[in-house]
Amino acid sequence: MTKQPTVFMRGIRKHFGDFAALKGVDFELRPGEIHGLLGENGAGKTTLMNVLYGLHEPDAGTIELHGEPVRLRTPQDAIAHGIGMVHQHFMLVPTLTVAENMVLGEKGGAFVGKERLQQAASRLRERGERYGLAVDPNARVWQLSVGQQQRVEILRALYRDARVLILDEPTASLTAPETEQLLPRLRALADEGASIVFITHHLEEVLAWTDRITVLRHGELVETLRPAETSAVALARSMVGRPVTLKELGVDVSVAPSTEHRGTGNAPMLEVNGLGCRSDRGTAALDDIGVSVRGGEIVAVAGVEGNGQAELEEVLCGLRQPAAGTVRLGGDDVTHVTTLERLRLGMGVIPSDRYRRGLIRALPIGENLVLDQIGERPYGTPLRVSRRAIAARARELIERFTIRATGPGQLAGELSGGNAQRVVLARTLSRDIRVLVAAQPTRGLDVGAMEFVWARLDEARRAGVAILLLSTDLDEVMALADRCCVLYRGRLVAEWPRHELDRETIGLAMGGVVGTPSPATVPEQVVTRA
Amino acid sequence: MNWSGIVGVGLFASGLQLAMPTALAAVGEAFSERSGVLNLGLEGMMLGGALGAFTADYYSGSAAVGVFAGVGIGVLLGALKAFLSVTLKTEQVINGIVLVIFVQGVTAFAYEKLFGSGGTQPEIPALHTVRIPGLASIPWVGPVLFEQNVLFYVSLALVPAVWLLLQRTKFGLAVRAVGERPLAADSVAVRVDLVRWLALLVCGAMAGFAGAVLVIGDVSLFGTNVTAGRGWVAIALVIFGRWNPLIVFGGALLFGVMDALQLRIQAASGGSNSGVPYEVFQALPYLLTLAVMVIATVAARRNAQPAALGIPFRKEVIE
Amino acid sequence: MTVAQSSVVLPPFQRRYAQLWTVLVSGGGVVLAFLVGGLLVVIAGGDPLAAFRSMFSGTLGSTFSIGELLVTATPLLIIGLGLALAFRGRVYNIGAEGQLFVGALAGGSLILELHASGTVLIAFAVVAGIVAGALWASVVGYLRARWSVNEVISSLLMNYIGIFGFDYVIRKPLGDPAAGNALASRQLPTSAMLPSVSGLYAHVGIFIALGLVPFVWYAMRATPFGYRIRMMGLNREAAQVAGVNTARLTVVLMALSGGLAGLAGVIQVIGVEGRMDSGISANYGFTAIVVALLGRLSAPGVLAAALLIAFLNVGGQAMSVDNGLPYSIVLAIEGVFVLFVLIADRFGRTR
Repeated sequence: MTKQPTVFMRGIRKHFGDFAALKGVDFELRPGEIHGLLGENGAGKTTLMNVLYGLHEPDAGTIELHGEPVRLRTPQDAIAHGIGMVHQHFMLVPTLTVAENMVLGEKGGAFVGKERLQQAASRLRERGERYGLAVDPNARVWQLSVGQQQRVEILRALYRDARVLILDEPTASLTAPETEQLLPRLRALADEGASIVFITHHLEEVLAWTDRITVLRHGELVETLRPAETSAVALARSMVGRPVTLKELGVDVSVAPSTEHRGTGNAPMLEVNGLGCRSDRGTAALDDIGVSVRGGEIVAVAGVEGNGQAELEEVLCGLRQPAAGTVRLGGDDVTHVTTLERLRLGMGVIPSDRYRRGLIRALPIGENLVLDQIGERPYGTPLRVSRRAIAARARELIERFTIRATGPGQLAGELSGGNAQRVVLARTLSRDIRVLVAAQPTRGLDVGAMEFVWARLDEARRAGVAILLLSTDLDEVMALADRCCVLYRGRLVAEWPRHELDRETIGLAMGGVVGTPSPATVPEQVVTRA
Repeated sequence: MNWSGIVGVGLFASGLQLAMPTALAAVGEAFSERSGVLNLGLEGMMLGGALGAFTADYYSGSAAVGVFAGVGIGVLLGALKAFLSVTLKTEQVINGIVLVIFVQGVTAFAYEKLFGSGGTQPEIPALHTVRIPGLASIPWVGPVLFEQNVLFYVSLALVPAVWLLLQRTKFGLAVRAVGERPLAADSVAVRVDLVRWLALLVCGAMAGFAGAVLVIGDVSLFGTNVTAGRGWVAIALVIFGRWNPLIVFGGALLFGVMDALQLRIQAASGGSNSGVPYEVFQALPYLLTLAVMVIATVAARRNAQPAALGIPFRKEVIE
Repeated sequence: MTVAQSSVVLPPFQRRYAQLWTVLVSGGGVVLAFLVGGLLVVIAGGDPLAAFRSMFSGTLGSTFSIGELLVTATPLLIIGLGLALAFRGRVYNIGAEGQLFVGALAGGSLILELHASGTVLIAFAVVAGIVAGALWASVVGYLRARWSVNEVISSLLMNYIGIFGFDYVIRKPLGDPAAGNALASRQLPTSAMLPSVSGLYAHVGIFIALGLVPFVWYAMRATPFGYRIRMMGLNREAAQVAGVNTARLTVVLMALSGGLAGLAGVIQVIGVEGRMDSGISANYGFTAIVVALLGRLSAPGVLAAALLIAFLNVGGQAMSVDNGLPYSIVLAIEGVFVLFVLIADRFGRTR
């Protein structure tokens, strides 16, 4: 029996201005398969799927569905052909209900009354039950958890009778238990005859759950093979294009040799006690947070987005007032002190959103590099800013931190993610700091940039800086942390020293499961909020 | 002071009539802001609509023609605002103020050109009160709601229509989505900029209509400052009403009643020789609006402001 | 109400020519303004050339008219500079008119109540005006900084409150019984008035205004304060993370622009009118917004724009008197001008 491929993309090319995102890629998807799409940031995997979903039209190449050539100009075309996509950042409107989100953008009548919403609701319920993805159609999206929202996204594709399902980093925002629940359901869908594309950079998942794997690199197809024919190391090598050591995968825990002095015996530089604060929504975002970081050590706070990391970052920076508790910097109480004072007392910050908080895009790199020191010597006095000093310092930092730019005058908004982050690092690490709060420092960066950041953090650590690392990335935590705690629903639920770090345990704790001896057993002790 | 003479059916009847233009403009503004566009040009749109309505009524003798002209001008100005904010994506705060300055200048000239300055003030005939038989006999409510001019009735019908448009149509759903998370709407092929354009046209139409109601229904004349800041008050009321057209409308009407109350107290207390200076009464509505806006902003437990308000939509290149 | 940022990033070559483009746009705008003006004159039934001739002669034709030009430009310039500073930080102070009146009230009342005269008193009055305007505006700034209350609407509403307050004081407590129906305060003693510049029919206030220009220019360009304003205007959150106290800076900017508006108000009282009445402001507070926008929020730009608008206003009066044309032509020209500049400015940048 010849299995006709469901989707056949041939020779797809796509440019964005000067940047060649796809340089002639072939991709084939068969019925009933789960196909993993692997690649670094910028490799083109999301772009390829965006082309399939009709978000972009390719500059060259053809797409065939069930052997018939098609032209997908808009997502509506793709949806009409049974293709559905679940994006990495959910495309749901938070203030609308689930049912309303389903109806949004639907073709059909001008009126959306109670009946139409009820029809949508019952259809949702039916699909939900069929695929084990139950969700309340009348709940407002902002009330749902991240895992539930993702279920809604998947349901939306199924609601439109998608037979080809594209999932972009589906497990990125899920806790371990939620991931455990998702993957078998995908398999069930595939067994029914649907085809699933799984975009990810998680090597373990792709090896365990897919039927075939395609690797892209710099917009080109590297290979398509079966999981049985390859390994994590081999895949990583294909992704990056050169032999990759375990170190770069973050698997090797000796990024910093364990014989190094790792802060024991130093005085604590950053002490947080009983910290509590509210979120924008009025709920309690942090509850009784206590952590202490000594000079020369890295303490990681791991957790899935939405569990309080953002608020913790803001409270430490001084952007948000805590409702309770204290923050001390080297003995000084900084709980209610301005951001400027904290910077002066030796706090450095790498914000989680580099474009929104780390840089001012419309200003040149030179000014961004001294953003927090304008008005201080040597960049000027309170009455005068010295452009020459700024330019000189900028040139120096650009070289020291290998920032790829045309010069200090280039606008920060033109830099790529990795370079932008280098600017932020350069600014923060070149100052005399005692404490560093690094929030998601490698988010969205490729392996090369990640390495760079990790190396600089390690360098700071060795110089005696106390580093608090807020991260959602387990690789990062495993590579850098001297101690790791987990933030779940606003509370610190577990803590381990370096030699006890174990990916599975941490992952489970991030999902609220603490204290079980083996993840394979049914979790009985689930931490709930009091 | 004769309170029973001041507070009564007459107060509410005139209060509601007085408030109607502001209330209509506020509903239009709520619609625009729900789609994510901050329209600070509202005062200008009302003024433009007022002039258009006045001129058309004066020369044609027909109130209906006047109303259509007012709405038409309002729609045109809404389109201008949409062009500046949605197409060109210039700073919405600035382009709104620019629009007001533009309209104030052009209407001043147009009025002077058409009607000259000095001499007798041109007037248009006042609208008759239309008494709805039966309903107008209901005690208390009847004379207040059902003994008004025809524009009042049209306004009362228009506002629920706008609410229905927002809450019960696909377009309204798109408006609400686009004001909260335009990227999400875009991903399901909703055309964000088009929806915002249309929302601004609706806002402009409401504002133009409000201007028409003001000059044709209320004051029967035109002056360069006939709107007297109603547009700004309307914008404050949108915050107070938490961007819900019905609450906004209700709040605006409540305000009108208080405004009418203030006028009556001022008149009853003997004018310029009494204890309380009449400037206090003049300032009172604005002071109250300010207070109400501050309280609404401060006390809001969950932020009801549309998340994408004021941010032009730019499609981001997905990696 | 907080509204998030939308910063536009220019590619390199266009930045180099950005300043050239700014000048071109402004120049083009002026040309367009005159074209539109001419058109409006024709519509109004007049002769454009004659109209322009009287405009020019009405402003530059004699020392008297030049003096009037400068005197008219003075409040526009002073307030415009303050607004340029505030707008750069995205603090939109629309309440300058009210702040002007409040400042005038404070300064004028001081002089009348103290029954005194002399330079010291003038100085005190000026300070009182600045402080009053600054305080009036700080209320708005505090509301914005502390509770994110929309400063555009609140400053606007404060306008009405301030102006009505002014009206009351000049009607009752400090009113001039001889003024009859006109609302005006008592006359100020001549010794409390600003001296005039010899040879020019203008008061020394024009030097205060002109003197502010280099200060503000320097502050914007070369001081950390100016940098912080720009940072806050471009990206409030990033500025906060970099240590800028945005809440305090917001209040400072409101107070600064309010204080300058108050200064303009006092100068109008002691330099022009000689008493407090509604004539102290020909909508200067609002027109100064136009001046700040046309001047692209830079000090030299505001200077040029203030002179231009003053030219239009004074010349417009002359034109309307000489030729029987409606003065509102000038208002229309200004309106079209500012709209054009907004649109053309946009095309000088990329998306």
